[in-house]
Amino acid sequence: MTEPAHEIHPPIRAYLVIAAVLAVITAVEVAVFYITWLARFLVPILLVLSAAKFALVAMFFMHLRSDSRVFSGLFAGPLAIAIAIILVLMALFGAFVVGRP
Amino acid sequence: MTGTGGIRGWITTVDHKRIGILYGVTAFVFFLVGGIEALVIRLQLARPDSAVVSAETFNQLFTMHGTTMIFLAVMPLGAAFFNYLIPLMIGARDVAFPRLNALSYWVFLFGGLFLNASFLFGAAPDAGWFGYANLTDRQFSPGPAIDFWLLGLLVLGVSSLIAGFNFIVTILNMRAPGMTFMRLPVFVWMTLITQFLIVLAFPTITVGLFLLFFDRYLGTGFYNPLVGGNPLLWQHLFWLFGHPEVYILILPAMGIVSEVLPTFARKPLFGYPVVVYSGILIGFFGFGVWSHHMFTVGLGAVADAAFSLATMLIGIPTGVKIFNWLATLWGGAIRARTPLYFAVGFIAMFLMGGLSGIMHASPPVDMQQQDSYFVVAHLHYVLVGGSLFGLFAGIYYWWPKMTGRLLSDRLGKLNFWLLLAGFNATFFPMHFLGLLGMPRRIYTYSADRGWEPWNLVSTLGAFLIAVSVLVFLVNAVRSLRAGAPAGPDPWDGRTLEWTLPSPPPVHNFEEVPTVAHRDELWARKRRRPAEPPAPREPVPAPAPHGIHLPPPSHYPIVVAGGILLVAVGALAHVAVSVLGGLLAVYGIYRWAFEYGGPGRGHPAPLEETSLGLDHRKTGFWAFLGSECMFFASLIATYMAYKGKSLTGPYPHEILNIPLTSISTFVLLMSSLLMVLALAAVQRGDRLGAKLWLFGTAFFGLIFLGFQAYEFIEFVHEGLTLQVNLFGATFFVLTGFHGAHVTVGVIWLLSLWVLALRERLGPADAMLVEVAGLYWHFVDIVWIAIFTLIYLIQ
Repeated sequence: MTEPAHEIHPPIRAYLVIAAVLAVITAVEVAVFYITWLARFLVPILLVLSAAKFALVAMFFMHLRSDSRVFSGLFAGPLAIAIAIILVLMALFGAFVVGRP
Repeated sequence: MTGTGGIRGWITTVDHKRIGILYGVTAFVFFLVGGIEALVIRLQLARPDSAVVSAETFNQLFTMHGTTMIFLAVMPLGAAFFNYLIPLMIGARDVAFPRLNALSYWVFLFGGLFLNASFLFGAAPDAGWFGYANLTDRQFSPGPAIDFWLLGLLVLGVSSLIAGFNFIVTILNMRAPGMTFMRLPVFVWMTLITQFLIVLAFPTITVGLFLLFFDRYLGTGFYNPLVGGNPLLWQHLFWLFGHPEVYILILPAMGIVSEVLPTFARKPLFGYPVVVYSGILIGFFGFGVWSHHMFTVGLGAVADAAFSLATMLIGIPTGVKIFNWLATLWGGAIRARTPLYFAVGFIAMFLMGGLSGIMHASPPVDMQQQDSYFVVAHLHYVLVGGSLFGLFAGIYYWWPKMTGRLLSDRLGKLNFWLLLAGFNATFFPMHFLGLLGMPRRIYTYSADRGWEPWNLVSTLGAFLIAVSVLVFLVNAVRSLRAGAPAGPDPWDGRTLEWTLPSPPPVHNFEEVPTVAHRDELWARKRRRPAEPPAPREPVPAPAPHGIHLPPPSHYPIVVAGGILLVAVGALAHVAVSVLGGLLAVYGIYRWAFEYGGPGRGHPAPLEETSLGLDHRKTGFWAFLGSECMFFASLIATYMAYKGKSLTGPYPHEILNIPLTSISTFVLLMSSLLMVLALAAVQRGDRLGAKLWLFGTAFFGLIFLGFQAYEFIEFVHEGLTLQVNLFGATFFVLTGFHGAHVTVGVIWLLSLWVLALRERLGPADAMLVEVAGLYWHFVDIVWIAIFTLIYLIQ
């Protein structure tokens, strides 16, 4: 048995739009990488763009936006812990210390 | 049927009760093995300058004692209870994935045998149960001992993870009608939290073990300071697993005690919601305290203060539980039977372990006690005084349900008093030994240290523990031979399992029960009016059709055998690993087609599940959550070592952004093709399904082609796994991602073949949806990798 997925998932056209947006964001990411005067803001810009792509795939292609909240919880909870662990380990290894070699 | 008799019946069983018994018996045998190792350790330390065993053997004994007791005894004893009881307590006929349940047992058994086979080759692991780097590096441990250890733990991790996903889905989605979350027995709640801890904690040690494997087999330097690596990385990855592991070991015991106390106090558990929320908080905080095991390594004042605070915080929900248990007993009509003795013993002993734990939460105090016998005393008060007393309470409580016969209460109480006396005689003196300066893991000491009297007491206590276990075995054998019949409800129980005959029939319940109370059976016996249903939780209708039970299967043991051979091959010859991999793949494919095709094995109708969700999809989301932790550990390793390579090539010299941008685009677009494939399958468009499934796999292959080209180019330019930390972290992170993509391509091509054979209709859409989730996940992991590695250099 399957869920009536076609009723809760976006139409094909929405998938095409999402894919186009993903392609554009990727192009912007690569462009930003090469624009030297943006170098100071490179990291926050890239992180925001990357997070946007991540969210688009998770919400629309993986259907978290329209599917059960249980699935969102099963994914977002561990994801939050995972991100926290990356940040704490980076801090413990001195990744945020200014001027480190 | 699942009730097939004989050895073949046990080998092919998928019945959760039989698997529970297999877990229990196997774990108890390993418990005896670990206990014998402990006795030899204590014999060696009873007198100064002793020579019962050599220093090398002593190292092997304490390493295998810790590893055995944690991974092969206490954890699987908890699993025995999960397996036997969870379906009975939630009113289900089996677990969500019965064959996966069997697989987890066989992988556990083979992993345990593999680990202990090291003794036969004179190569038992000898670097401590937490295998600190760089004791474990090839330079300091050149033989196969550490390989046995790391490969054994990797195999055992597979078993734990599989069981974790299975029980998460079972508890979330297979509760009887009316059994809302706040009517779940506390043991079920603690099991659920434990499974989340398992699926989120094991990926970090898996990554740590893989990095150790690469250091030992491929010459990388993840833990080698000579090439810029840092042994502390191992400690972080290990304790990120190791501290949640403490709660993986103790929460089931807390759940057992929360069932035993109300039954024998004849009043409901005091503050049920607070006990549940405290368990959740313990599980959550459990991920934020790992570095309190590392106060002495020099993390810095801020880190020490933060982890100290978090450790003290975790004591609060634990203390809350203890007050709730005491309040449950207070004013109760106490029946002083053996299970209650062990439950009360648990409270007292665990409290003592908790108090010394609070002492360790203070960095200045911990620095004095680090690596002394004080710590040995603390951890045994938690894991023996806590976990083992709780498990014994559970054994005495549920034995009549499992066997249909009562254990002797007189022998049970003798078992308890001997264990209590022996346990305290063994471990309480270790506090004094630690304060007197005796380090842990020394194989002997000189007479002038003044440690002999307490060591002698400790050794005598250990043998008293052995006598208590012997009394239990006598009790068990007597009960099995001629114990008094238990009847269905010997304790005036509260929960659903006591509504069933002892032992329960193969199908558990004739009719799926409807639950209207937290203590459902008490309410029925006392004819209480039904509680109002919770407002937002669905109450599914009972099944209108007959009883479907999965038939026995021998593919779980085939797949487990394949996994074992993969590990054996790492020690023997790569051909054995390849053979094992092929056997596992063969087993998986035969498994998939066992019921006439993938997804044809009576999947639970959605309207009969507790949440209205497909088991496979729910389990797969739990798997993806676990995968987040796996890739987070790899990404954290890359980020921690970023810029710390001692030699080139460096990222900015070698990374090819235009090329990788194209491969990134290809992978992103493959996700589009994947959703188109799913949509085609859902609407019955067979041509579209074939086209888009193949297209997705083809785009995946293009991505892999780009990755292979990139790897070859990098090697030509001098970047290898061994040359520097950048090479090691880059190849391992992107390599694991590539391996995931490869699995995805194989999966998609398998579905494509099904589509070509016209065996992939709308009714099979869930198969494609789950594959799609996996595919999109590898896509979003790559989104993170592309940004963090390629663009932020």
